[in-house]
Amino acid sequence: MLHALSALAPLAAALAFQLPPQLPTVALDERMRTDLGLAIGDTVELAAASGAPGQRMVISAFTRRTADPSEVARAEYKVRVHLTDLQALLRYGDRVDRFAVVTHDSSAREAAVRAINARAFGFRAYPSADIAVETGRTFAVINRFHRAIGVITILASAIFLLCIMLLRVEERRREIATLRLIGLSRRTVERAIVVEAAAIAALGAFVGTGLGAVVSAVVNRHYQALYRTPLVFSLVTPDVIALAVALSVVLGLGAGWLAARRLTGRAPLTLLGR
Amino acid sequence: MRAALAVSSLLRNRARTALAVAGIAVATAMLLDMVMLASGMRLSFRDLLDARGFQIRLSPKGTLPFDTEATVGDASALVAAVAAVPGVAVVAPNLGAQLIAPRADGAITVAAIGVVPEVQGDFALRDGRLPQSGEVVASPAALQALSRSLGDTVTIADGWDPQLRTVREAVVRRIVGVGRFYYLGADQPVVALPLSDLQASAQGARADRISSAMVRIAPGRGVDEVAAAIGRTAPRVSVLTTAEAVSQADERLAYFRNLAFILGSVSLAVGFLLIATLMTVSVNERIGEIAVQRAIGVAASRIVQQIVVEGLLLSLLGGVIGLGLGLLTARYLDHILGAFPGLPPEIAFFVFQPRDAFTSLGLLLLAGTFAGVLPAYRAARLPIATALREEAVA
Amino acid sequence: MTVLLDAVNLHRDYAMAADAVHALRGLSVQIAAGDYVAIVGPSGCGKSTLLNLLGALDRPTQGAVRIRGTDVATLDDRAATAFRLTSVGFVFQRFHLLPMLSAEENVALPMAEAGVPREARRARARELLAYVGLAGRADHRPTQLSGGEQQRVAIARALANRPALILADEPTGELDARTGAEIIALFERLNADGTTIVVVTHDDTLAAAARRVVQMRDGAIVADERLRP
Repeated sequence: MLHALSALAPLAAALAFQLPPQLPTVALDERMRTDLGLAIGDTVELAAASGAPGQRMVISAFTRRTADPSEVARAEYKVRVHLTDLQALLRYGDRVDRFAVVTHDSSAREAAVRAINARAFGFRAYPSADIAVETGRTFAVINRFHRAIGVITILASAIFLLCIMLLRVEERRREIATLRLIGLSRRTVERAIVVEAAAIAALGAFVGTGLGAVVSAVVNRHYQALYRTPLVFSLVTPDVIALAVALSVVLGLGAGWLAARRLTGRAPLTLLGR
Repeated sequence: MRAALAVSSLLRNRARTALAVAGIAVATAMLLDMVMLASGMRLSFRDLLDARGFQIRLSPKGTLPFDTEATVGDASALVAAVAAVPGVAVVAPNLGAQLIAPRADGAITVAAIGVVPEVQGDFALRDGRLPQSGEVVASPAALQALSRSLGDTVTIADGWDPQLRTVREAVVRRIVGVGRFYYLGADQPVVALPLSDLQASAQGARADRISSAMVRIAPGRGVDEVAAAIGRTAPRVSVLTTAEAVSQADERLAYFRNLAFILGSVSLAVGFLLIATLMTVSVNERIGEIAVQRAIGVAASRIVQQIVVEGLLLSLLGGVIGLGLGLLTARYLDHILGAFPGLPPEIAFFVFQPRDAFTSLGLLLLAGTFAGVLPAYRAARLPIATALREEAVA
Repeated sequence: MTVLLDAVNLHRDYAMAADAVHALRGLSVQIAAGDYVAIVGPSGCGKSTLLNLLGALDRPTQGAVRIRGTDVATLDDRAATAFRLTSVGFVFQRFHLLPMLSAEENVALPMAEAGVPREARRARARELLAYVGLAGRADHRPTQLSGGEQQRVAIARALANRPALILADEPTGELDARTGAEIIALFERLNADGTTIVVVTHDDTLAAAARRVVQMRDGAIVADERLRP
């Protein structure tokens, strides 16, 4: 029963929840409440084709969109009617497009699939997970895309971090030269720089995580409003945070160490420009 | 001499300059990709719609063409009425359906398009000829899936019983052509057959019905004017010009445009920060030199000029490299997104236009200029005597 | 001798955290064209501060510095810069050559700034390098030159735009005795050729080579002795 129902013609009705006894009920997409100015108790006419005579139905509920990624960009409304009412409207007779089956538990699922396929002529049963894989192909593509963008971003960040660390450390070349001249070993100086780099990286990671969480919230709010969906677009999970922090600290440490090595490897007097 | 001084300054610390250029290159690459992404889809979608010269599309009221399974009845009257609208040159109706094609290991679903072969705009013939009644044109994917070649016959049916492994309402059709189907995925098995053949199947359920129609307007007529006239003539259908279709697609693809904008802005900000930081540190290191130049009579404006030129040179070098890098990464990213199921092969997400390169480079050069301004201004405002004394002490 | 430089009642105060520091306290001095003046005194007496004021590198808190009738103390930044470019040549203790330029390019830098065409400034730069005894070092970078050679390049640079006045701050401060002596000899030659020179120095030998020695203490002149006419 997935044929689109065309052209609803809302009929104004001042109902106080007293349903006319013969009229069937319909649950509409919640967006229709705002877009078409409908309310529970209103009467609407559903038809199978534009211009064709329809069936008057009373709005008994508004349904929220599901957080289904494949639905997110689709503007069409979804309405729900009783099976028999829709069969009558479409003159479908005693036919359906598919069944959904709930089993007691997951172990019963495979047995049910086999049993149905052996008995139900003209039908084929599939576990829902298999269907999800097929319909999830779109999001597999988007995931790969996001991952590629992520890799490029990390690469850019790594270069940027290395550059900044190099600049920071080079700014202090005279200090470093002085420390070396007064007898501190190369290792001691390197360690001091690396510790400082680690502190900066950790602080940056902390601030960045906070910023990321804020941006994620903003992104979700924006797209949920744009597409009018409860779908969560951006999710900041503990493992995402852990990955981001670990990467930042490792990159920061690595960059600081490289910069320190570079500078402490040169003779102190050279650093002083002599 | 200022330009030579700027170049010399950059070459003094080659590792640092190289790293900064690399950073700017990556930022430019990302910026270019995002500029391409922001406009690419709309461009390639528009080109796809215009590919066969049809400027208007009709679909069941409230739907987009082939967006749902809805069809329009009394199609022949509708087509005749639309064809009679002044300014309409050609009306190409079509009907979509899912048919079954049995094969040795079971059956596959085949997308079927019923067309009027002489005016259709759904496919271009690669081989063979247009179908007459009882014949089909198949996509390469269909031929491969069914292990058929041009000239073979193929059985297509409306229903398939997987238990009994039998088909309902099967007919045998000869494959007389191989077609490239514009609006379907390259990996999708598709057959095109005369509209009347498809309408006659499914025990009359499709009689005189169409899914959509494409309209070509006469030369010299305005698209919007003709579209409005069609809308008045055929209120049962939605009328969509190419521009409107592109704008509807835009809405659906808003996610990518927003992503492009955000990532593009971030890239620009990163490039700006990198140059600003580099120039600040570079100026701080050269306080003494700058003070001496000021002492011997070099004007403050010249110092500013030199530093801004340094920032610009970094941006330019990094930017040019970044453009090349960006084109490479765009190809890679486009390849990833091209794997969307059912995506017509002509649709590209990253479409390069020379304007994009100028936009990206221009933005980066602007950022590079501004990034150098503050450190340059600070350098020019140095208290000379103090700076010289501090240099002497240091 | 005509008066080239007339400094009148110079005060220079620096505001510090605790109290103001009076680097110069109402100092007045005149310098004649073609003279060779050494300013001596203990560290912190205000010698370098005086030199900076004479060269329009700094502005007095009070007082005037007239060079050829222009009070350089009242010039705005742009005018002071132009003044330094054309009327004053600086020689610093630490040479302060630009490391990425060759000796010739360092000498040519002020001329480039003054708009002298390339060939002309190249020719003059080479001429000046020959004058200071570095004809064969024109293409060398500062890192390839000894301290004495760098200072000579700095002196050549100071002469680039034919300034009215050379101001030198501890020109032999970074040099050994022998090299210092070469620089002193160069200064003597410059002055013999008509260049007006004011040096600030701790070096007694350099001071003794001057025609006039001005002694400072605590921001004021305590002695002014002419050694030679």
